[in-house]
Amino acid sequence: MAEEMSGIPEPEEFRARARKWLGTVARPRAADGEWGSGSDSVAVFDNWTEEQEREHTARVQEWERTRYDQGWSALHWEEAYGGRGLPAYYEQLYRAEEAAFDVPHRPEIFPVTQALVAPAIALWGTEDQKRRWLRPMLRTDELACQLFSETEAGSDLAAVRTKAVRDGENWVLNGHKVWTSGARVATWGVAVCRTDPDVRKHAGITVFLVRMDAPGVTVRPIRQMTGGTSFNEVYLDGVTVPDTDRLGPVGEGWRVTLSVLAAERLDSGSLGLDNADRALDLAAHLPRPLTGGEQQRAADLHIRTLIQRLIGLRVTAALVAGREPGAEASVGKLYATETMRRTSDLVSELLGPSLVADTGEWGTYAWTEHLLGAPGYSIAGGTDEIQRTILAERVLGLPKEPTR
Amino acid sequence: MHPRHPEIAPRLLSETDEQRQLRTVLRDLFRETSSPEDVRKHLATPRGYDEALWSRLAGEIGVHGLAVPEEYGGSGFTFAELAVVLEEVGRALCSAPLLPTVVLAAHALLYSGDRAACEQYLPRIADGALTATVAGFGEGFGDGEPIVTAERGSAGWVLRGRADFVLDGAGADVILVRAATPDGPRLFACEPDPGTCRRTPRRVLDETRRQALVEFRGAPATPVGTAEGAEATVSATVDTGRAALAAEQIGGSGHALDATVEFVAQRHQFGRPIGSFQAVKHRLADVLVALEAARSASAYATACAAVAPEQLPVAASAAAVVCSETFRLATAEYVQLHGGIGFTWEHPAHLYVRRARGAEVLFGTADRHRARLAALAGLALESCSV
Repeated sequence: MAEEMSGIPEPEEFRARARKWLGTVARPRAADGEWGSGSDSVAVFDNWTEEQEREHTARVQEWERTRYDQGWSALHWEEAYGGRGLPAYYEQLYRAEEAAFDVPHRPEIFPVTQALVAPAIALWGTEDQKRRWLRPMLRTDELACQLFSETEAGSDLAAVRTKAVRDGENWVLNGHKVWTSGARVATWGVAVCRTDPDVRKHAGITVFLVRMDAPGVTVRPIRQMTGGTSFNEVYLDGVTVPDTDRLGPVGEGWRVTLSVLAAERLDSGSLGLDNADRALDLAAHLPRPLTGGEQQRAADLHIRTLIQRLIGLRVTAALVAGREPGAEASVGKLYATETMRRTSDLVSELLGPSLVADTGEWGTYAWTEHLLGAPGYSIAGGTDEIQRTILAERVLGLPKEPTR
Repeated sequence: MHPRHPEIAPRLLSETDEQRQLRTVLRDLFRETSSPEDVRKHLATPRGYDEALWSRLAGEIGVHGLAVPEEYGGSGFTFAELAVVLEEVGRALCSAPLLPTVVLAAHALLYSGDRAACEQYLPRIADGALTATVAGFGEGFGDGEPIVTAERGSAGWVLRGRADFVLDGAGADVILVRAATPDGPRLFACEPDPGTCRRTPRRVLDETRRQALVEFRGAPATPVGTAEGAEATVSATVDTGRAALAAEQIGGSGHALDATVEFVAQRHQFGRPIGSFQAVKHRLADVLVALEAARSASAYATACAAVAPEQLPVAASAAAVVCSETFRLATAEYVQLHGGIGFTWEHPAHLYVRRARGAEVLFGTADRHRARLAALAGLALESCSV
């Protein structure tokens, strides 16, 4: 990679090189035209037993390590952390190329570790923490899950009750977290805890990284409405965490949390696109003519896939031009959850009874996984209602609700 | 090309520094010359727009010649610069007939490839001396026999027939007409004379965009371009018109959102700004999401009109659907969230409602655009139900 020492490769050159490299380590994805065979899964949330989750995670880790070790991961990170110091949007350029290859699908714990937690550590961590955590997380030797929501702290996340009490050089954590993806395979959990119950709720919060194998950590799967299990609840019973694993200053945890949440919101722009494409392929392959209504609905979904991709390209364009993306970066999640709903509605029209009763036919009943999974994304990562409030207050600058 | 993946360099979807400067200049100019009061005042004049402003736009800023090549007296920029102008025009609701003149007529001439016709008209369009429009293009879906016919007489071609809904039809100096000939549909340029061309202004919902019934009664006309190229010229012209209209719609929607946000932040009821109520916030957040979608669609259509004509049909129809829907939503909320004051004649909100409702049917309704997109995307199986 000597030529990169002199500077940043042109985007087209970079894409060509990425394509060439991918060709040496992965097989091209089978082209279109094999409608009716292969996997017909359109699951929104992975649905695995613990054993399957571990197996798949190991497979993805192997791929991620190959990428990292050969200089095709952590692209915009400093070289000190194994990156290449490229502009952030080179990651999107790489992804566009990778999409043409048969590489393992990354379950949520991977983007959470690499794109949400690692940047928060880079922003808030001490030099020692960055040295200890960044390389292993970017290489996915360590995987980090989010210990955020609680039963009484959902949209109102700052109401967390999980307590952390100082004990010399350590903290002792007690509490109960819910809706954690990847808790069974994660080695670290990022826990949002209350360290001072006597101050304003946003001021009494501190964030810690907790070893998931520490004594007192118990993980129990949650069965969601799809019937499968993709999330967990995590009990923290007298878990000891050294002060050196505290992320950011004591009492500043809300700001640390917000930086993770912002990254999560901006990371959701391509949500739902794969399944929308699938639904349109279904419309194109239907063994009967579309009705006028179906055709209109399909055209509308087609337009949404175009627009959602264009919004992504506009975000890229802003980054390329060295500007902070504007509102286009914030609307992505709301736009995406609507795409997911419209996908369900179109498929229901197209399949009729074979969506709801399993005839064994390829690509029909499998859509129930999308139908039942899609509502989850209007709740996870900030509900649609919270997203609207954020847009109204932070982008449009409308006055906040009076505090009670 | 996979039509679900826009094949466009991201930088073409974002504004250049030059375009940003142009936008600032125009916004300042329109603030000074095209307030809602100014617009209303000029609607009452015979031509319905500020003719002094028209000259300033053409002369001082060079708006009319932006997308006209230098050889025809323009400045040889691209459609992207013109789209910046149209967005600001739409924001200010400026009633000058730029859409029929510098978008539709000028592009019909350019796409026709007819050098003589371009030389004859484009320099005068570029310097603001001439207004022009198109007639008989229908909704531009390329289906349907021309409603005007052209006959070859001893003194040359003459046109007969009626074309309705002609933008600025009563005022335009030149009309480019799609007319039937024995060789198929063909384009003609007609400089209307009251003796052979009767022009009746229609009463219109949106007075900022005048329309007329034009009756050709043996009106002399000159062919423009070839018969073979005529339908492609018409189709590309209307798609370019759609891209232009989308930019206007973005401007109007942007105004509606900004004005409403400003209003709800200062209007107090129940002892607090109404903009602090979640019911109000969430409606405006939905407008913002729609506006960003529309901006994306408009930017794509603009880029295609400028540099990627093969993707223009998809981009233009997608923009027509998305930008029309957004403008309709944004103006509906403009009225609703202003409450009683927004429903008064004096408030400018209804001017935008009228513009939105007028624009959304101008180059084909959303249903027709969806049907066209479905066909382009392989989603239209032959069926009598369509």
